[in-house]
Amino acid sequence: MSVLPKFRTFFKIIKENGGVVGSFLKLYRTEELKDGTLVGQDKYGHKYYENKRYFIARSRWVDYADDVGMDYDGSQVPPEWHRWLHYMTDDPPTKVPPVTRKYILDHIENRTGTHEQYVPYSTTKPKVHAWQSPRAN
Amino acid sequence: MATLLRLWPLKRGLGCPGFIGTLASRAQSTAPEKIEIFVNDKPVKVDPRSTVLQACAEGGVQIPRFCFHERLSIAGNCRMCLVQVEGSPKPVASCAMPVMKGMKIKTDSPDTRKAREGVMEFLLVNHPLDCPICDQGGECDLQDQSMNYGSDRSRFTDMEFAGKRAVEDKNIGPLVKTIMTRCIHCTRCIRFASEVAGVEDLGTTGRGNDMVVGTYVEKLFKSELSGNVIDLCPVGALTSKPYAFTARPWETRKIESVDVMDALGSNIVVSTRGGEVMRVLPRIHEDINEEWISDKTRFAYDGLKRQRLVTPMAKNAQGQLVSTEWEEAFFRIVEKTVSLSGDQIAAIAGGHCDAEALVALKDILNKLGSEALCTEEVFPMDAAGTDLRSNYLMNGRIVGVEEADKLLLIGTNPRYEAPVFNAKIRKSWIHNDLDVAVIGQQPDLTYECEHLGESPKLIQDLVDGKHPYSKVLAGAKKPMIIVGSAMFQRADGAAVHRAVSSLAQTVRAKSGCGEDWRVLNVLHRVASQVAALDLGYKAGVEVIRNNPPKVLFLLGADDNTITRDDLPKDSFIVYIGSHGDNGASMADVVLPGAAYTEKNSTYVNTEGRAQQTRLAVTPPGMAREDWKIIRALSEILGVTLPYDDLNEVRERLEEVSPNLTRYGDVEEANYFKQSEELAKGIKQQLSDQPLTPPQLALKDFYMTDADITSITDNVALRESCHGVGQQ
Amino acid sequence: MANVVKVSPFLRTVSGRIIQTSVVPVRNASTEKKVFGPLKDEDRIFTNLYGRHDWRLKGAMKRGDWYKTKEIILKGHEWIQGEIKKSGLRGRGGAGFPTGMKWSFMNKPSDGRPKYLVVNADEGEPGTCKDREIMRHDPHKLIEGCLVAGSAMGACAAYIYIRGEFYNEASSMQIAIKEAYEAGLIGKNACGSGYDFDVYLHRGAGAYICGEETSLIESLEGKAGKPRLKPPFPADVGVFGCPTTVNNVETIAVSPTICRRGGDWFGSLGRTRNQGQKLFNISGHVNNPCTVEEEMSISMKELIERHAGGVIGGWDNLLAVIPGGSSTPVLPKSVCDDVMMDFDGLVEKQSALGTAALIVMDKSADIVNCIARLMEFYKHESCGQCTPCREGVGWMNSILQRFDNMSVLC
Repeated sequence: MSVLPKFRTFFKIIKENGGVVGSFLKLYRTEELKDGTLVGQDKYGHKYYENKRYFIARSRWVDYADDVGMDYDGSQVPPEWHRWLHYMTDDPPTKVPPVTRKYILDHIENRTGTHEQYVPYSTTKPKVHAWQSPRAN
Repeated sequence: MATLLRLWPLKRGLGCPGFIGTLASRAQSTAPEKIEIFVNDKPVKVDPRSTVLQACAEGGVQIPRFCFHERLSIAGNCRMCLVQVEGSPKPVASCAMPVMKGMKIKTDSPDTRKAREGVMEFLLVNHPLDCPICDQGGECDLQDQSMNYGSDRSRFTDMEFAGKRAVEDKNIGPLVKTIMTRCIHCTRCIRFASEVAGVEDLGTTGRGNDMVVGTYVEKLFKSELSGNVIDLCPVGALTSKPYAFTARPWETRKIESVDVMDALGSNIVVSTRGGEVMRVLPRIHEDINEEWISDKTRFAYDGLKRQRLVTPMAKNAQGQLVSTEWEEAFFRIVEKTVSLSGDQIAAIAGGHCDAEALVALKDILNKLGSEALCTEEVFPMDAAGTDLRSNYLMNGRIVGVEEADKLLLIGTNPRYEAPVFNAKIRKSWIHNDLDVAVIGQQPDLTYECEHLGESPKLIQDLVDGKHPYSKVLAGAKKPMIIVGSAMFQRADGAAVHRAVSSLAQTVRAKSGCGEDWRVLNVLHRVASQVAALDLGYKAGVEVIRNNPPKVLFLLGADDNTITRDDLPKDSFIVYIGSHGDNGASMADVVLPGAAYTEKNSTYVNTEGRAQQTRLAVTPPGMAREDWKIIRALSEILGVTLPYDDLNEVRERLEEVSPNLTRYGDVEEANYFKQSEELAKGIKQQLSDQPLTPPQLALKDFYMTDADITSITDNVALRESCHGVGQQ
Repeated sequence: MANVVKVSPFLRTVSGRIIQTSVVPVRNASTEKKVFGPLKDEDRIFTNLYGRHDWRLKGAMKRGDWYKTKEIILKGHEWIQGEIKKSGLRGRGGAGFPTGMKWSFMNKPSDGRPKYLVVNADEGEPGTCKDREIMRHDPHKLIEGCLVAGSAMGACAAYIYIRGEFYNEASSMQIAIKEAYEAGLIGKNACGSGYDFDVYLHRGAGAYICGEETSLIESLEGKAGKPRLKPPFPADVGVFGCPTTVNNVETIAVSPTICRRGGDWFGSLGRTRNQGQKLFNISGHVNNPCTVEEEMSISMKELIERHAGGVIGGWDNLLAVIPGGSSTPVLPKSVCDDVMMDFDGLVEKQSALGTAALIVMDKSADIVNCIARLMEFYKHESCGQCTPCREGVGWMNSILQRFDNMSVLC
């Protein structure tokens, strides 16, 4: 086994990730450095890469858009890319564009833990009814 | 019927002993010599007027019964109390049989047991046995006694599928639910209605197996004591409508407490489950409520869950009260208060305050340099005023009416102001030949009374002996005069008080009832008044009206005695209380307090008896006990009150007025003469305005907001009860 | 039983008290009679029992009613009570309580309340039809009796509570009362004796239970006719809350004649403690059903043979007799052969004289069917206040109906 290709890959990775500083920042953000081909980009700015050198399950990945910063989350991946990313299909939406229907809602990420999170409400009567003050004039 | 009921005691003197002796035990003066009988061969000495059932109870043997009840007349319907008496060919109904000398009673012989078993079997023949869906389940006499005395297997095989007797349910109002198929015809409810409640609404129709208890035509059971038939019913035929299907007796915790819906302080048991009050039941207290409670006491509990103040509130920039934190609320108060001198701060106490909160509020205001502490209820402050306790107490006590022979009601309708007391008057009227006379607008009472007139000047005429009734009063052995506290709310309240106290003195002097007998009685309408006056609160808000404060504390005061219009524009109102109503609506800061089931606190009833309520459930949300709120506020205001727990508050209470912590006792008051002497100085004249009690119809009773706004005002049931009034 | 709320109404008047027979005078042993009946014509009290004569005032006076009533009243209540006690008259309603003693309960000094006499004319016991004959054909005897009895107990008025079904009897009574008022015999200064006495007629609504004295009183007061608890006894708290005596029609109707002819005469009829004469009703399987006045203690066999023409098919065809109205126990033929028709004689045979209404059954009768029919009556008429009767009579009825349908055999 030659050591050389490993060095070549190393420098390729450094280069593809934006040099030493870029790689450092990347490593800080994702704790991982990879090289790969850019398959596409969704409308939220997330970039999708593939490198078949890695074994399956690690061979496709997403690089979240810069504006989400450190608050990236798996649920930010829209469904059309989700199926490619999870190997449900080998055709990314760039190759086979998803069918558009007018009733399909825009993708939203999971809001749990935020102010907009869903909170279930009780259907039983409260034991104690609080007094509401009459509206002031 | 009423007149017939009254004839009974007359007969008792004519030598028909025992038949009603249970009812009037207190009234009977001389106890005849005891006779000896044998209960299961054990010799027992008993009163010759007692029945076999009572005699056995004295001998320590409990006899099963359905129809017999100590406080009702004897019916002898159910036959569950059959016992064997030696020498008698048939078993004897022990509830109706007077004892005879040397009687040998067998309460556990095979014959007795067989008789009981037979009666039980008969009762169950037509009883639906729907215990799993019956609200009485778990506290049902029929269940218990069938376990103890019934057969262990059924012979009921309905071969022809003829079925059991089924009876149509009656609609007798929004409070009492009827499932008449369960009725075992003990007639307790009928006897209660006609004897205690004094309404002839219930009765039986039909004969034999078709006998039905009901109202004959569909109508409401129009009584302010109607809820008591729920407790009396030995089966589940009469149950509580608001309580229906909400809890089982074995799931609930029972806490012994005291009622605050009127000034009597009826003893109650609060049943709770899961931090919720499920129902309120009476607790026996012979000197106050026996074992009855009024419908308001029993059914007001659902108001404890409505319109509650659960968080502190403060006005936001838009002038809207919004929820906030305790600190924020306190700081708002401090902001307004620090710069003020004592005379710019005042407080008003409402009708439901406990003594602990009252003393804490008084202490904090005194420390801030204010003396302007008032109650909503007015009481004449002229002359002796509230300085002498005898002026504002029911001195003759609630039980006193059972001994009295002449009763004069002035401007009061006890039927709705104190229903349980009214039942006592009726009891005395039936069994003790009490004569009742009324001055003031004629209320619809449950006993006959002589109506003397409506003008307050009549009182003066009685003092001067100008009125023919003054002779009757002078001839009384134990006269009682009861004046309603509503009469002191009038413009000429002081004059009424002077007239009444001099009438009491005159009557006492003329009738020769002795120094020990108390003639003058004040019947209060709200639970907190006596404690507030004992603690030195000023009765009436006149002081505040004359000297409008910058900061006003309302301690559960909801009666609109002082409104925004009476105060300067920039004045600041703090409301401390359990329910949102008039007081909270006009407040700038609202501090959520605890209702009477949510705190250990002291109340003093109209006769001056201190009693404790007990914590049954915790206050909802962020609400806290009232005195603790005031204690916390004092710390932030920089006038820290010197008590940290309940015992220390009570020590402080004791310092101010020792009677407040002598629980269960009536602290006697005297100085009638001095008070009358002082009252002579009152120059006010009696007006001609007729004396009108505030509640004259049953509608008023359920709709009442005489200081009870905070709880009963919110009762959803009130809407349904409104129908009662309109009928 | 004392204190029993519901007493079978055949024990009408006295149910509350234990009969103290000691007050009844005992006849001298030397004059002890051994043979009783037939009653001689001159000893008859109800001389117009069959309505063959005029029942109005004129005819009644011709037969001796209202004769010297004034003098009887003027002799005072003690004398009247004494005569009644001497006669040994026992209540004719069924329980046989000594009438003289019952009246003496009213002697207590008045406490200001008036006293009342109530006449129980609610004759509802199946088989009984004696009172209606009196009221139909001899109403003046009853009215005069009311006056005499009323004056004996110091009552101010008499209420005759008549069964609702007795329309014609009520009409006769009302006419007779009117006649008596018009003749000044009752009302203010009755018979000129200075005694004020009113007689009112009250028609019931036809409930058997109203024959029981306390439920009769309830009904008279306008309430549902259901028994009251005793004590207090009616003598203490009766109708409208006043002391009251309730007596059977026959008891009251015989009292003037006793006073006129003397208690000794009445006492000479019948056995000791069962003195007097009595109206017997004989119905059922006899050749000639009838109501007849006979001496007490007459033997049942003689009574039936002499007055009712004997049992259909002869005495040997007799199955059983109910001797005193449907609520008394049935007597089999073996007992009937030599039983005496009086209070003690029948109690000895574990039955009772009741109202002396004999229901005769010959061997063609189905005894189970008869009893089932009677039980249906009692189920219908139970007042329903106490458990054993309310629930029990219904069960007994269904049991007997099952016997009767013989479904028990299937």
